[in-house]
Amino acid sequence: MRYPKRIGLLATAVMLVATTVVACGGDEGASTSSPKAPADIPELTKDPLTLSFIWFDWPPAKALEAFANAEYTKERSNVTVKVNVVPNANWHDAMFTQFAARKTDFDIPILDSQHIGEAVTNGNILDITDFVKKNIDVNAYNPYLLAAYGQFPQAETGKRDENASLYGLPLLGDTWTMIYRKDLIGDTPPATWDEMIAAAQKCQTENPGVSGLAFHQANGSDAAAVTYNTVNGVYGGNLWDSKARKIEGVINDAAGQEAMDVLVNKMKPLTAAGSGNWFIDEVNAAVAQGKACIAFNWIAASGGLLDPEQSTLGKTREEILGKLGFATLPKQKTDLVPLGGMGMHVSAYSSPEKQAEALNFMKWFEQADIQKKWAAAGGVPARTDALSSPEFLNAGPFNKVYADSVSRMRDMWNVPEYARLIDIENTNVNAALNGAKDPKTALNDIAKEQQGVLDSAGKKGGGGL
Amino acid sequence: MSDPVSLTDQPVQEASTTPPAPGRSRHLSDRLLTVAFISPALLLLLAMSVFPLLWALYLSFTDYSATRGGPATFVWFENFTAILTSAQVHLRAFTTLLYVVGAVTLQTVLGFSIAYLISRRVRGRGVLTTLFLVPMMLSPVVVGLFWRFMLDAQFGVINSMLGSIGLGQVEWLTKQNTALISLIVVDTWQWTPFIMLIALAGLTAVPKYLYEAASIDRASEWFRFRTITLPLVWPLLLIAVLFRAIEAFRLFDLVYILTSGGPGVSTETLSFHVYKVAFLGFNTGTASAYGILMVLIVIVLAQLYMRYLNKLKED
Repeated sequence: MRYPKRIGLLATAVMLVATTVVACGGDEGASTSSPKAPADIPELTKDPLTLSFIWFDWPPAKALEAFANAEYTKERSNVTVKVNVVPNANWHDAMFTQFAARKTDFDIPILDSQHIGEAVTNGNILDITDFVKKNIDVNAYNPYLLAAYGQFPQAETGKRDENASLYGLPLLGDTWTMIYRKDLIGDTPPATWDEMIAAAQKCQTENPGVSGLAFHQANGSDAAAVTYNTVNGVYGGNLWDSKARKIEGVINDAAGQEAMDVLVNKMKPLTAAGSGNWFIDEVNAAVAQGKACIAFNWIAASGGLLDPEQSTLGKTREEILGKLGFATLPKQKTDLVPLGGMGMHVSAYSSPEKQAEALNFMKWFEQADIQKKWAAAGGVPARTDALSSPEFLNAGPFNKVYADSVSRMRDMWNVPEYARLIDIENTNVNAALNGAKDPKTALNDIAKEQQGVLDSAGKKGGGGL
Repeated sequence: MSDPVSLTDQPVQEASTTPPAPGRSRHLSDRLLTVAFISPALLLLLAMSVFPLLWALYLSFTDYSATRGGPATFVWFENFTAILTSAQVHLRAFTTLLYVVGAVTLQTVLGFSIAYLISRRVRGRGVLTTLFLVPMMLSPVVVGLFWRFMLDAQFGVINSMLGSIGLGQVEWLTKQNTALISLIVVDTWQWTPFIMLIALAGLTAVPKYLYEAASIDRASEWFRFRTITLPLVWPLLLIAVLFRAIEAFRLFDLVYILTSGGPGVSTETLSFHVYKVAFLGFNTGTASAYGILMVLIVIVLAQLYMRYLNKLKED
């Protein structure tokens, strides 16, 4: 009897064809430009609804969930806010693998400012330009903050382009703060980068067991790259010429080389042995355990330093504050500081009622009084009135650092190739910091490889190597 | 009830002539029933394994990107050419080779030694074997995380112990010359028990009368090991080596947790690099070609190895 065999073969073929059709069907409707959000918020549902965010696992994520569930539910009692978190190193992948599947289990992705280019180019998030025009008071923000967390193409000059489209609104502002031991180096923070290095050197010599400096050096996420970019900015360097899309000869010019030399040959020797894989948590741990004279970390991640349960510097917050000082970054040839923080965006693959709710949440969140409440809850707002409010300035000793740093911020490249550019920089800076590469070679390799990525955009075959 | 002897002696085709059991549809023959039972598993296998493999093969000839979407344009062998000629890939291949050779050699020597020692012990053999197997039962991610803490240069217990005996701090995970060794050590800690288990099975299966005969001939311990134990256990050990080499070749999790491929890219293995190509730039076509090439390498090497094993068996 032959036909059962044929049935088996037929079933196999049908299965393969079906799976192929299903897989190919995934691309139907795939768009390479972002769909537009309506200018007016559509009618909101009265049914129970969970509004899901995705972020990485750090204190502001917990603060946001608690804040939103306490405050937003006063206005929308049928809504529960859930902030899903992933490890920092998986953050980009967690969002973009779901974008790739054209289905997301989150409604509001919290994108790093540099992720916007990739998400917009792939059509993963909504264009909210019309919504912003109708619902948000754009004049209430420092234009660069509004641009950094939402505009594409990027605001290269620190000024917002009024004609550019907006794809997000600020959720959390951030930058680096210098954390220094007042009891070891004095109450006055170093004013210049050179003074900072000298103070760290002196402190390390005078205090055995305490390292002069602690900063991000890891090769995961954007850790080591942000460190180099910060020193590069302070020493007058540039990351690229955005108009000419030129990196080779720009990042590795004389200023760039000087910055790399300062980082590897002057700063690295003042760090603890084995700190070559340190990121946010490790730097905080070193400060909390009294193992560093001067440290650099993101402001939004510094709250735990004042918790007596996590610190050996004091039994009360006041006692810890007697030893720890927070200051803006020292200046050198320029006063640039890194732009951190993230914006809120709306997933293009969320259901219409959830997209409507997300837009409503964004409108609610950007109100002046809510921004002040967010500041009091531990967030870093972006509205100018909230930044100068006592609610924000009194919420933490580092908040004034942020307010003073806003006009000094510089971001990285916000282009679709960002993930590869940052990986190249991270691995090479990490190699230089850990002695796996000579600093000059590392910087020249960054320039060459990054230029290769920009030049190969659109090249067929072998992309990504 | 049929005679059991005649049942086993009948050709398979004739089994279908058996009349259906009471209650079964007349149209449902044994053959159809077999197909019905096998189909779910077969369809699952096709959907979850065969189709993705074929799909990856198709994508490997295109410039498709999962995030950019749009149609996949055929670039034929350009992805393969780019991968095979890339200095970045050559570097990762060399790192992977060092890792595979280092880890598998160490695990084989240690695994066999431990198995040999355990096999000579009569009391407590079961308990010892079970204890040695514990690392193998843990998730590699968990193993990576606790080794990361233990190997931390500042706060780790390993450096603390070294310090207590007057030795200096070692930067286990952040120096080029120690990071790969650390990966090999951690992998060895976890997977030596696998080799040990296979070797122990081989050692237990060696007929005792061979040793008794050797004793009568007053053969030395070394002579007995060299001429009886090793030749009989060797083929089994080689199969364990094959399994471990394939596993080590596709190492990803320990690298991801322990070193993230660093310092720089000095511990980036081929699998880790594929991950970066696939998810950092979402170059799905290139990543598919990379994956297909890795599978091909494993298949070819495994085939050559199996031929050697068969030859060994015939000899």
